[in-house]
Amino acid sequence: MTLLAVEGLRRSFGSLVAVDSVSFEVERGEVVGMIGPNGAGKTTTFNCVSGVLPSDAGTVTFEGADVTEAPPYDLARRGLVRTFQQTRELETLTVTDNMLLPTPDHPGERAWHAVGRTAASEQREQEARERAMDLLGTFDLRGMVEEYAASLSGGQRKLLELARALMLDPSLLLLDEPFAGVNPTLTAEIVEHIEALNADGLTLLIIEHELETLTDLVDRLIVLADGRVLATGTPEAIMENEEVIDAYLGG
Amino acid sequence: MKFEDLPVDATRAGAVLLVLAVAFLFSPLFVRPPAATLVLFEVGVLFLLYALVLVGLNLQFGHTGLVNFGPVAFFAVGGYVAAIVTANDPYGAVGLGLPWPVGLAAGVVVAVVLGALIGASTLRLRDDFLAIVTLAVAEIVHGLIVTVRDVTGGSNGLQNVPRPIAATTGGGGAGELFATVLVFGALAVLFYGLFHRLSASPYGRVLRAIRADEQVTETLGKRVFRYKFVVFVYGAAVAGLAGALLVFYNGAAAPGFFTINVTVIVWIGMLIGGAGNDRGVLGGLAIIMGFQLATRFLNEQLPVITPDQFASVRLMLIGLLLMVIIKYRPEGIWGDADELGVES
Ligand SMILES: Nc1ncnc2c1ncn2[C@@H]1O[C@H](COP(=O)(O)OP(=O)(O)OP(=O)(O)O)[C@@H](O)[C@H]1O
Ligand SMILES: [Mg+2]
Repeated sequence: MTLLAVEGLRRSFGSLVAVDSVSFEVERGEVVGMIGPNGAGKTTTFNCVSGVLPSDAGTVTFEGADVTEAPPYDLARRGLVRTFQQTRELETLTVTDNMLLPTPDHPGERAWHAVGRTAASEQREQEARERAMDLLGTFDLRGMVEEYAASLSGGQRKLLELARALMLDPSLLLLDEPFAGVNPTLTAEIVEHIEALNADGLTLLIIEHELETLTDLVDRLIVLADGRVLATGTPEAIMENEEVIDAYLGG
Repeated sequence: MKFEDLPVDATRAGAVLLVLAVAFLFSPLFVRPPAATLVLFEVGVLFLLYALVLVGLNLQFGHTGLVNFGPVAFFAVGGYVAAIVTANDPYGAVGLGLPWPVGLAAGVVVAVVLGALIGASTLRLRDDFLAIVTLAVAEIVHGLIVTVRDVTGGSNGLQNVPRPIAATTGGGGAGELFATVLVFGALAVLFYGLFHRLSASPYGRVLRAIRADEQVTETLGKRVFRYKFVVFVYGAAVAGLAGALLVFYNGAAAPGFFTINVTVIVWIGMLIGGAGNDRGVLGGLAIIMGFQLATRFLNEQLPVITPDQFASVRLMLIGLLLMVIIKYRPEGIWGDADELGVES
């Protein structure tokens, strides 16, 4: 079943067409990789799909609903969650608050419950805290819970961003270069986490430069070059595709 | 997040104090403080009203990062609307002569409407628009007060506004001052408590996230615009309330009550105390107003310089203090450098 369908997506910046009639689909349960040279339009595609940037043309369909115009908060609530290439922790919040913030349907985020300190709010907070501590444990961040996010290392930021996204219980996770600047040991750990999440039913679309990291992880690859989809297929097929070799791998 | 809860819950304490204060007003009792202390009570009344404005501003700027450079606009609108609705035959101005609770409600409602209009039109735009628009609106409001004379009484102001607290107290001016401090103090504690409950809750966490990075907050499922809008309107509401209280205390509204000085004092109090620290900002306000009071006495002892010269010197000293704080302690005295993202 198709979870995400992108059809004829286009976005330009001035005269530069960063994304040009890009179409692809992601099936439920898949892990799909998106590769391409610098400036190919991968991040821009993510920005348009996640509602962070308006697109010039094209449609985005998520779980059968047209979400082309949907604002980011709406997409996040529907289960389409993304991370950023340059990690964007909320640095002036603690690691714990970074984790608790995304908690869906938190009564305590409504003024009335906040002022009244209602039991519903306290209970949701407690549940969210337990889940956050679980996830922080999984991602080896338990020792950092009281720290401000500004004090995390580059790799820890990647981990926190991934863990934080999971607090939303997404059905589709868009990861923009989750392994960039992460050492090989930690990369292997993140890959393991991703495989476990996928086994639990999470669908992922992952942007990455290093093809090797992706080949074992993904079911399918989408190759972008100059804002267009150059090829899609299994990692094996892509590595033998002559156009891809010319445009990207060969270089 | 640190919960800096006081041993007593300020919301409850404020509510209890308010009941006691009202009971006191309706009792035949009165307290007449000694004449020497009256100046403290006078400054105290102003402190409590500015504290209300500051509680709102701190939610807007300290917690959410909304730069409101015109809190005095809402303070003035609340005050003038309350005065126009309630004044009896003000000489050369409009006075509807309605009961004071109607005026109080009208003042708050119009301040809220003004806040909603500004919020709806600027809070989706780039951050600096709010700063510019609020600054401009404050100027416009002040300009209207002075120029639309037939309504506002121009520079003479609006007289014959009811003074509900004075009407219930014995003991003359001193007794009235005492009762006013009691009532305004209860309200200040109550609103401090309510706003602190907001900021120290998951609601406040969303606000601090918005201050840190709006876009990330939005991609994590929060309706950022709605929070910013509501917070802006809450701030407008308390400022409007404070303005209405001021005219009911003075029995008049005049342009001199609502100058840019109000904005300057609450901003400096917030920055000195530590933006985002609910109690710290009030401490900062106390410091700056205490400094003004202390230097007022000093001026009386130092007849060598004229009051005008003295005012300039005082302004320079305040500017100097602010510079020292920003340079050596940018988070303010009680602020949290990590939460504010500054290096100290
Ligand atoms: N906000 C923006 N304003 C102007 N140009 C932009 C903007 N965002 C992206 N671009 C341009 O669009 C093109 C595609 O950028 P994009 O970030 O999508 O590439 P990418 O495939 O993610 O590259 P990388 O692998 O380096 O991250 C680039 O030429 C870039 O300069
Ligand atoms: Mg990119």
